[in-house]
Amino acid sequence: MASTKDAALARLLEHLSSAEPAAHPIKDYPTVRLSDPAEITKAAAFLKDELGFDYLEMITAVDWLGPMQLDGLAAARTAAHPFKETPLKADPPVTPAPGAGAAYRPVLDLLWSFGNLRENLKMFLRLEVPRDQAEVASLTALFPAADWQEREAFDLLGVRFLGHPNLTKILTTEDLAGHPLRKDYAHQKDRFDE
Amino acid sequence: MGIVLDQLPGCAKPLPGGQFLLTTTDYFIDLGRKYSLWPLTFGLACCAIEMMVAYAGRFDFDRFGVIPRPSPRQADLLLIAGTVTKKMAGPIVEIYHQMPEPRFVVAMGSCANCGGPFHDSYSVLKGVDKIIPVDVYIPGCPPRPEALVYGIMELQKKILKMKIAKGGGATPQQEKGSRDLTGNGSNGGQV
Repeated sequence: MASTKDAALARLLEHLSSAEPAAHPIKDYPTVRLSDPAEITKAAAFLKDELGFDYLEMITAVDWLGPMQLDGLAAARTAAHPFKETPLKADPPVTPAPGAGAAYRPVLDLLWSFGNLRENLKMFLRLEVPRDQAEVASLTALFPAADWQEREAFDLLGVRFLGHPNLTKILTTEDLAGHPLRKDYAHQKDRFDE
Repeated sequence: MGIVLDQLPGCAKPLPGGQFLLTTTDYFIDLGRKYSLWPLTFGLACCAIEMMVAYAGRFDFDRFGVIPRPSPRQADLLLIAGTVTKKMAGPIVEIYHQMPEPRFVVAMGSCANCGGPFHDSYSVLKGVDKIIPVDVYIPGCPPRPEALVYGIMELQKKILKMKIAKGGGATPQQEKGSRDLTGNGSNGGQV
């Protein structure tokens, strides 16, 4: 048990070997930046069993690829294979957005949100994984609530959660190829589009 | 009968003696249809909030005989109130075909009309008339309850024009669909 958010953050950082406080925390909540993908299970188990964070609120991710020129991408993909996502041969051109203040990079920034309902605390974990190798351990063994959250992150962003019992689409239609919230997602016309 | 006779000056004639009323079959049936529109409660998004207000005391849809039904088998009006996603398109067609004829569809709000603010989304249907025929379109985002009441009154005017002799009560619009997607005259219920 931890009484304050600072105590919880200190104990978690002490427990983990390769974690540090995030440079940009989410609001004023304690936010931990993990650097080793293998540590997410360890961190989640410690949060649940030792610090009382027994409520998994959310799992999501941010694609930091930046704005893209998608002209012709959908047509190229449709021609290559109509109902299957075709991997791009080369990285599509990344357009820098002047003044946006964000460092665009080919990563998915994963985010876990844990809640401690008894002590009214909240803790965020962040982890960057490369876009083309977006894999991380599933938390379904620890939190059953992670099941649908991870399916959503898989469906919309293409993060593969290793060890998930049923990692299938949850929101998009069956014939939708690709992951719509990825920055290089180009919509292929389906049977409902004109 | 006094109220009815006041409402029907040109369409119905009382016979001398006061026991009989002379009118056309079409008018008589359409009169029953237009004042007993039972909509399926089918709220999909924020338009449903305005729909609920229209049912509630201030606007009181019950005055028009519009009484919500929980089952499509008992409903003859499908109020599409909200955003139609592509994943919801299949269930909507299924519900539409479970309704007994004659059945009517009202598309409420910009989303149900044409996709609205989500017209370029990967997951939103650009108008419910791509999958089922629509009788009345109500613009607005969302439409006020007055607009929904007005749309129902327009639908009642449309119902009053229905003729039994022309295809079992269904309008040509219903038979064909407001946008013919396949080009062979009917989409055949296929999505």
